[in-house]
Amino acid sequence: MTSLLVFKEYLKKFYGSYEVFITPILKFLLAGLSLLVINTSLGFMEKINNAAILLIAALMCSFLPVGFILFFAALFILLHLYALALEVAVVALALFMVMFLMYFRFSPKDTLVVLLTPICFMLRIPYVMPIAMGLVGTPASAVSVSCGTIVYYLVSYVSGNATTLSAMDAGEASARFRMVIDSMLGSKGMLVTVAAFAITVIVVYTIRRMSIDHSWTIAMIGGAIINMVILLLGDLIYDTKVSVIGVMFGTAVSVLLAKVLQFFVLNLDYSRTEKVQFEDDEYYYYVKAVPKITVSTPTKTVKKINTQRHSVSSQNRGGTRSTGTRGAGRTRSYDQE
Amino acid sequence: MLNEERVILMTRMASYENGEGRGNMSIGNYFRSDYIGKEVLKAVICATISFGLCFALYLFYDFEGFMLNIYKMDLLQFVKNILILYAVVVVIYGVISYIIFSIRYKRAKKSLKKYYNNLRKLSGLYD
Repeated sequence: MTSLLVFKEYLKKFYGSYEVFITPILKFLLAGLSLLVINTSLGFMEKINNAAILLIAALMCSFLPVGFILFFAALFILLHLYALALEVAVVALALFMVMFLMYFRFSPKDTLVVLLTPICFMLRIPYVMPIAMGLVGTPASAVSVSCGTIVYYLVSYVSGNATTLSAMDAGEASARFRMVIDSMLGSKGMLVTVAAFAITVIVVYTIRRMSIDHSWTIAMIGGAIINMVILLLGDLIYDTKVSVIGVMFGTAVSVLLAKVLQFFVLNLDYSRTEKVQFEDDEYYYYVKAVPKITVSTPTKTVKKINTQRHSVSSQNRGGTRSTGTRGAGRTRSYDQE
Repeated sequence: MLNEERVILMTRMASYENGEGRGNMSIGNYFRSDYIGKEVLKAVICATISFGLCFALYLFYDFEGFMLNIYKMDLLQFVKNILILYAVVVVIYGVISYIIFSIRYKRAKKSLKKYYNNLRKLSGLYD
C-alpha cells in the first residue's frame, strides 16, 4: 500500500511539473479515441473517415477547451449520419440541440460524461460511468450519464441498421424518419439502462455522502448491485436481451476501476477517525474528522564518487602548491558527502 | 525583503482570479434581479427552440397523416393544446432555471465577499 501511495505522490509531482504538456496530450488522446470510435462504428462519409482528418481534428482539440472535443464528436456523428440519410441526421441534430440547450447550459463541466459514456459502452464497461459520477459528481450527473447512454443507443442503432436505412428510397423519407424515432422511443433496452444508470448515480451519491466509515466503498458496491439488479429485472420484465455474464463481469471490472478512482481522489485512514463535540453561541457541533492517508516521497540522494580524489590527494601529499587549492576544494566536497 | 504571508495570500488570490473567481466576478457585476432575469430569459429562449425542434419532429413523424387530417380536425383546439403544452414546458424550465441561478448568484456573492476580505487584508499588510 505504501509503495502505491508513493507512486501516487510521484504521479502528482510529475503531473504538477509537466501539466503544460500532459493536459494537451490527454485531450489529444481522448479526442483521437472518440473520433476513432465514431469513425469505426459509423464511417459512412468517406471524406472524414481517414486518419489525416482524424489527426487534424484531434490536434485542434488538444489546444482548444475541453468542450470542443464534444463539438467535434457531435459534428463527426452528424456528418456520418448525413452521408447515410438526411432524416437520421436531422433526428440526431435535434437530440444534440435539445441536450445542449436544455441541460448543458447548467453544467458545462459534465459535457465530457456524454463523450465518455459511449466510449465505455464500446469497451463493455459502461457501468463504471454511473458509479464514478455518483462518487465525484452530483445527482444532476444522472442526466449527463443518461444523455451519454441515449447517444450510444442512437449510434449503435444506426450502425446496426445501416443497410436497411440506406436501402430505403428517397421517397420513403417519412418512413425512415418514423423508423428512427420509433426505434429510439421504443427501445426498452435503452429505457431500462437509462433508468438503471440514473438510479445508480443517485444511490451512489447518497451513500457516499453518509457519515459512515468506508462510505465510498459501500457506495460503489451498493450502486453496482442496484445497477445489476435493475438491468437484470428489466431483462426479465421487458426482455431487453442483456447478457447476464456480461453485466456481472462488466460490473466487477467497473467496481475495480471505481476503486482505482477512489485511490486517486480520496484515500482515508479510518483507523485514526476522531469524533469531537463542541458548541458556540448558536450551534452544537458533532464533528467526525477522518485523516487522509499521505506519504512523503523518499528523496533520492545522489552520491558522487570522485575517481580523481586519490590522484589529487596524492598530488597534495607531493606538496605542489599549484594543485593545493584544488585539492583542498575536493577534500571539502568529499567531507560534505 | 519578501513577506511570506503576503506572497501566500497573493498566490491564493491570483489562482482564484484565474479559476473559479473569473465566473464569479462576471456574476458579481450584475444586480441579483438583472442576473437572474438575463439567465431566465436565455432559458426561455432555449426552451422555445427546443420545443420548436420537438414539435417539428412530431409533425414530420406523421406528416402525411397530419396533412390528410388537417381539414377534418379542430385546428383552433390543436393550436390551443400546443400553446398550453409550450407554456407548461417554458414555465417549468423557467422555474428550474430561476432556482438554479438564484443559488449560483448567492454562492458567487459569498465567494466574492471572501475574496474582497482577502484584498482588504492584503492592503492591510502593506501598511
